[in-house]
Amino acid sequence: MWKLVLPLITLIAAIALSAAADRPLPRADFTFINRGDITTLDVHQMSWMMDLRMARLLCEGLVRPNIFSREYTLEPAAAESLPEISYDGRTYTFHLRRDAKWSNGEPVTARDYLFSWRRAMLPENSTDYTTLFWMMEGGREFFDLRAADLKAHAQRAKGLSASERREAARVLWEKSCADFDRLLNLHAPDEHTLVFTLNRRVPYFLDLMSMPVFYPVYPPLVTAHDTIDPDSGRVKTDPSWTKAGTFITNGPFRLTVWRFKRDMRLEANPHYWNLAALNVRSIAIPSVEDPNAAVMAFRTGAVDWVSDVNAGYRGELIAQKEAYFAEHRAEHEALLAQGLDPIEIDRRLPPDPRATMHAYPAFGTYFYNFNCRPTLPDGRANPFADAKVRRAFSMSIDKEVLARDVRRSGEVATDVLIPPGSINGYRSPRGLAFDPARARALLAEAGYPDPTRFPVVEVLFNKDSGHDLIAEYIAREWQTNLGVPVQLMTKEIKVFRDDLRTGTFMTSRAGWYGDYGDPTTFLEINRTADGNNDRGYSNPAYDALLDRAETELDAGKRLQLLQEAERIIVEDELPLIPLFVQNNFYLFDAHRVSGVSSHPRSEQQLFRVDILGDGKGAEKALALPAKK
Amino acid sequence: MTRLILTRLAQLPLVLLAVYTLTLALAWAIPGNPLENSERRPPPEVEAAMKSQYSLDSFWSFYWSYLDSATGVRAARDHFSGRAESERHRLESLHLAPPPRRVFDLGPSLQYRDQRVSEIIAGSLPVSAQLGVIAIILAILIGTPAGVLGGVRPGTWIDSLSLAISLIGISLPSFVTGTLLVLVFPVWLGVGRVGGWGSFSQMILPALTLSLPFAAYIARLTRMGMVEAMSSDYVRTARAKGLPESSVVLRHALKNAALPVVSYLGPACAMAMTGSFVVERVFNVPGLGQHFVNAVQNKDLFLIIGVVLVFSTMLVLFNLVVDVLYRWIDPRIRM
Repeated sequence: MWKLVLPLITLIAAIALSAAADRPLPRADFTFINRGDITTLDVHQMSWMMDLRMARLLCEGLVRPNIFSREYTLEPAAAESLPEISYDGRTYTFHLRRDAKWSNGEPVTARDYLFSWRRAMLPENSTDYTTLFWMMEGGREFFDLRAADLKAHAQRAKGLSASERREAARVLWEKSCADFDRLLNLHAPDEHTLVFTLNRRVPYFLDLMSMPVFYPVYPPLVTAHDTIDPDSGRVKTDPSWTKAGTFITNGPFRLTVWRFKRDMRLEANPHYWNLAALNVRSIAIPSVEDPNAAVMAFRTGAVDWVSDVNAGYRGELIAQKEAYFAEHRAEHEALLAQGLDPIEIDRRLPPDPRATMHAYPAFGTYFYNFNCRPTLPDGRANPFADAKVRRAFSMSIDKEVLARDVRRSGEVATDVLIPPGSINGYRSPRGLAFDPARARALLAEAGYPDPTRFPVVEVLFNKDSGHDLIAEYIAREWQTNLGVPVQLMTKEIKVFRDDLRTGTFMTSRAGWYGDYGDPTTFLEINRTADGNNDRGYSNPAYDALLDRAETELDAGKRLQLLQEAERIIVEDELPLIPLFVQNNFYLFDAHRVSGVSSHPRSEQQLFRVDILGDGKGAEKALALPAKK
Repeated sequence: MTRLILTRLAQLPLVLLAVYTLTLALAWAIPGNPLENSERRPPPEVEAAMKSQYSLDSFWSFYWSYLDSATGVRAARDHFSGRAESERHRLESLHLAPPPRRVFDLGPSLQYRDQRVSEIIAGSLPVSAQLGVIAIILAILIGTPAGVLGGVRPGTWIDSLSLAISLIGISLPSFVTGTLLVLVFPVWLGVGRVGGWGSFSQMILPALTLSLPFAAYIARLTRMGMVEAMSSDYVRTARAKGLPESSVVLRHALKNAALPVVSYLGPACAMAMTGSFVVERVFNVPGLGQHFVNAVQNKDLFLIIGVVLVFSTMLVLFNLVVDVLYRWIDPRIRM
């Protein structure tokens, strides 16, 4: 009998031992859920929102926007002041803070930036944002040269011995470093001065520079993890450089624990130049993948902020907040009339668990694509190549009903591409309103007097995140308001993206989030042959407007040109139908948590967070100033 | 015995090679670009550069480059060609500590760029293993007594009850039982916790959910063995000797009735440790199972292959352990 029981006892003992080895950490000053887990802490590789949030906690760029100003004013961060910009708008001179330090106490120097930007510009490190560096003089040339050199090396390496290959790869790397110094007009005249030149004046370049891809990385750390692959000649960074205990950063916090898919832990960086301004000293970020579990964690008080509320009953949470506002109608309306920040309004109303749900407009638009190419992938003539047809289809959707009854997530319907109020000084055109009678007339004018004979309209979408409900609604609108036959086509996300890329669709769901504070961040996606122009839309007049805006020196005139460009998209040509402005969905108690911004550009700088009433930090509630 | 162990271990690399080839062929056929992860799309030259970072340009370049590093051939080559040595010298001259060397390099995760597949597995496999082992222990503790009770008195109401419960245990999927357990214990009764891993209160519910089908199966196996054993000659002899009934049942009948259970435990252990992704999802347990599903969705090639290889190795090893245990418990069994 003991032979049967012995293995069992051994197993129980092993479990007890391994469980005892796992001890929980004490509660941090601030705890938030940043979705499941982040994809990378390498600032040069990031493109996801949850990764960018971490970058702003751990690292610091030269400038950053003041997220508590309506104008989103740029302010110096790791730089001492905003840069001097030459008269032609091309040469930038930055003076770095002399007290800026890495988390190991070493000073941050101008040479660190040269190293970091060179790394970001390498073809072997290329990511979604690599092309931003091509605005710098010589950036594109350096990329192309290095890419060609790598290709040639890989060819030649096949005939070499191992040690010759290694030597050739090393020589190539030295050549590339020299190429970089030669081609780029980028210098560090002294430890604290950084000078570079752009190909042309880019009015929003400073805004771009607040993006993490321009942040510095600690050169000795990266070098220690870099190896030159003798076969391909590529420089590869071993991913272990961003691990807790190894990672060295220049931001307000440093990484102390990262247990993948379990949790992260940050502590204030003792060498940060503005350490005194931090209102929390430790931050915990548990990894919670399940949307319901995230809401539960907030409800039980385990976390202070949920960055992305995605539970199936989000609509109910938002409805409950509406009911709460309705209970305090008089007060709420008075506060609204003062033009206050919604967070400030929540703070002035009595506390209530229902008030912890927040939905704010984000810097993104949900829209539908038309395939604008003359023929469909199967060779048929494309009815949507005609702008009249596209106008008719977009005027036949009642977006208000979509936002109110289908989405039920507090989003605002829109007829334009650029989220209103997100870009300082820019005003979008009106767009096309819902008008089914006019839509039917337009369709007849375009040669379809009998809409039932219109080719079957295929609607391509992926099923997740409620896209199916929107697709069904749009299909029904087209069927009832225009009378055309519609067919829904649902695809798995990767296949969906492939179909978009290859233009294998008639109409599809789509969306876009802006990167920087200029209308071009939304308008460039409709330029002929742009990498993100899934619609295959091409209009020389539109492209010419964008080109003219590029060279226009007068800021006001430039915005007018861009407004005209947006008007072409949303009133005349409609390569896409804007549907609603995307929302951010947060859970937090505004009476307790300060530092989360409701600005439509939707960037969060969580080092500003203050837990009100914990006796630590400034205890000052932050909010956007009231609208005038 | 030694021969059995050696042959099985010698077969393992061949099994893994076949599994690798098949998995890669299937995973390669999944549509979509594994590196594309947002709505944004870089220009074609950037995209080409991104792909060649990971030898994703062609199937065969990936096939060989992965084999090269995963089997340790690359590490050996670096060692003998002096590359590893020169790299160490370079870093020492810069006063830098070299990053850890890996002999068997399973590659990076394409989705989680800062993680190596080996690190992901090292972090989550112990969790899945704990979950699986606890579940199997629970299954034995629940299933064996239930089977014995029924098997000793077949046809009585106790027997019918244990049969009915085990039928439910086998048929209900774990996302149903898991959700029911969450509803009853943490939500209604306030007992136990959902999410995370480490404390007993976090472990018990997912383990219980995972154990139910196994417990049910064990109960059925035990019952079957007990029914047969109770009518056998040696039980009659034991009774004739005047042994107390408890001793007859536990010492004589159960010992033989348990053999089918033991042989079931091997595959059951492997299944419990590798097949827990539904339970892991319901309870937000940071185990290996979640990566199995997510990696396929993300077309994270390195992670898919890494996880499949780990699961295959576990299956082979568990079956081996069971074969060994089987012989140890019942020496009559020979090759």
